[in-house]
Amino acid sequence: MGIGTQDETAFSFDGDWRELAPILFTNLMLSIVTLGFYRFWGITRERRYLWSKTRFIDDRLEWTGTGKELFLGFLLVIAILFVPLFLLQFVAQALILRGHTAFAGVLFLSLYLVFFYVAGLAIFRGLRYRLSRTHWHGIRGGSDDPGFGYGWSYTWKTIVGSFVLGLLIPWSMTSLWSERWNRMSFGPHNFESGPEWGGLMRRFLLCYLAPVVALIVAIAIVVAGAASGGSSGGMAGGALAVVLVLGSIYIVLPIMALAYYAAFFREMIGTLRLSTLNFHFSARTKDWLVLMLGNIGLYVLVFALALAVASMLGVATLPKDPQALAHPPIATLAIIGLIVAIPLGLVGGFVRYRNWHFFIRHLEAGGEIDLASLTQSSTPEPRQGEGLLDALDMGGF
Amino acid sequence: MIDVSGLWHYDGRTAIRHKVDLRTGDDGFSLIGDNVDMGPYRWSDLVRRDNSPDGPVYGLKDKAGWRICFAGGVPDAIRDQLPGPARYGRWVDQLGFWRASVMFLAVSAVFALAVFKAPDWLAPNIPFAWEKQMGDAMVGDFGGRFCNGPGGQAALDALVRKIDQGKPAVRVHVANIGMVNAVALPGGNIVLFRGLLQEAKSPDEIAGVLGHEIGHVRKRHVVQALMRQAGLSVLLGGFGGNGGGYLNAMLAASYSREAESAADDYAIRQLKSARISPDDTAAFFARMSAQEAKLGEAAAALGYVSSHPLSQSRERAFRQSKQAGTAYAPVIDADQWAALSDICHNDPKVPAEDSLFF
Repeated sequence: MGIGTQDETAFSFDGDWRELAPILFTNLMLSIVTLGFYRFWGITRERRYLWSKTRFIDDRLEWTGTGKELFLGFLLVIAILFVPLFLLQFVAQALILRGHTAFAGVLFLSLYLVFFYVAGLAIFRGLRYRLSRTHWHGIRGGSDDPGFGYGWSYTWKTIVGSFVLGLLIPWSMTSLWSERWNRMSFGPHNFESGPEWGGLMRRFLLCYLAPVVALIVAIAIVVAGAASGGSSGGMAGGALAVVLVLGSIYIVLPIMALAYYAAFFREMIGTLRLSTLNFHFSARTKDWLVLMLGNIGLYVLVFALALAVASMLGVATLPKDPQALAHPPIATLAIIGLIVAIPLGLVGGFVRYRNWHFFIRHLEAGGEIDLASLTQSSTPEPRQGEGLLDALDMGGF
Repeated sequence: MIDVSGLWHYDGRTAIRHKVDLRTGDDGFSLIGDNVDMGPYRWSDLVRRDNSPDGPVYGLKDKAGWRICFAGGVPDAIRDQLPGPARYGRWVDQLGFWRASVMFLAVSAVFALAVFKAPDWLAPNIPFAWEKQMGDAMVGDFGGRFCNGPGGQAALDALVRKIDQGKPAVRVHVANIGMVNAVALPGGNIVLFRGLLQEAKSPDEIAGVLGHEIGHVRKRHVVQALMRQAGLSVLLGGFGGNGGGYLNAMLAASYSREAESAADDYAIRQLKSARISPDDTAAFFARMSAQEAKLGEAAAALGYVSSHPLSQSRERAFRQSKQAGTAYAPVIDADQWAALSDICHNDPKVPAEDSLFF
């Protein structure tokens, strides 16, 4: 089956946020009445929808993961990570109170390293889980590697990447990406990833240098203003300098980072192969910018709405007496909590929808697929989901 | 025997899509098509999957990737044999959305109530010996930072005996740390920081602050707080991320404010029965309140997030507890107060540090 012709893209997405909305609203309702524990099942429903609306060539993707798997992953992480951390915190306190600050320091440092290791493990296992639950034509992906080695790579490459003032970050990101994807497979075929990081350096340096350049220019403006026009010129120059520095930090730097990220993604996906298939990612910086601004806009909009509702409700529920104000009733706290939780819970779902749509819209593939030789994956199926990723609040890929 | 035509089928072994017909048999069916003749399968092993635009899709239990899709529609004759769609998850699908919601809400409410209320009932029943063991393990010798200038500890012990004769006795020490604060740690260990002694204008003031900390010990607030914190972590664990953390901190702060008020009441009672004037403690809070006043309007709003009641209301409570006609005496005499004030200054062995950590 040949794909990726001029007039037809291999991937397409035909979801509609109005179809997703009832899913998100019922997820939110069930999450609230279960004190949040339904969210594992909620995420599963969300993914089933997104995957089922994603077409690759002639058929849809299918998400076969379950809420129970995600929940078990969560429990596992609590048991093997958070309970020991909780206990270690007491050990560290006891050490500090006894004056063994050096020991406590060593303990914290090793915990820091463990955190890196666990983060790497989480990224690897999250990707493996997602591939193993993604079916197409009845065939799924996966990995034979449990990811324990990747955890070490992630630890040392991230640390080395931060050497030389962070200039090696593109190298560490690129090499970790390819290490991860080279261990993944779909059906009988291994993914092959061979990205180059040299081409990313120009954009990385730009985003690195933007604040430095802005600072130098700002200082020059202040000096020039003070030299030419006395105090008023100095003031105007100073104001301009402040605007310039703030602008570079809050506007230029994020855009530069986005430009780097856009190039990074194009290089990573563009050099990814699966047997005779090759992939391509077309999103440019301005596409990413539109995506990000849209996502931020959604959050701002919903929070503004929530604040409006909160101020109306708040006037009614807040006690008038300042003395009672210091002891707000639980009901008031609960209302405030819900006003924060409801928008956050809802917007997250729509943002994930936008991100997925963006990803599929810009993803293309070319080459040949032989359906007869695309046989079922022999990789082990993980029994629990991406608990680590979830616990560390990290994204996929 | 019924034939249903126009199905497509993945066998889960290769990605090839087979065109098949479905033929019903005894409590099951077979699939028949070009190069395919499979089955029989049982109806009860079918699992409903997400719809394809072609029609409803079914999988087979324990057979990864196996799918059939009724691209030509489902005939009424076999409709009853097919499992219904899975939407929310098994429990909710079986109960129905609204009934499940109400039941979950009830269970959550009971659970939440247990987490909020259980520490109040359980904490007083935990043997003090357990708490003491835990406290000793956690506190140790405080890194050798306890001051022991001549006569200082004796004066402090005398002060403590005046306001608390409870069993088992609390152990109060002064740590050579500059903070203006005092803490009650597990196991009846109370630590005064040097900064508080330097700030204090009189021993009565120290008696008031210590009475408050002893109140925490006697009312088992330390264990209560530990238990509540653990319970809230479980309760809010489901929310994940930062949201749960903020909510946790807010709820914990609101409970610790309750405990602070109870400890103040305890201190006021102890001062009263020991015939120690509450004036100096009130004056101490007045000085603190002057600092808070600088924060202006924010102070009232701060009451929401801070773990202590505002100093002004605490000052009022202590001031109002004074009884006309009572003969008040200082809690310890001038010599003892001098020894206590200098407990760190007169102890050259103790390292002076302004923070707990470095």
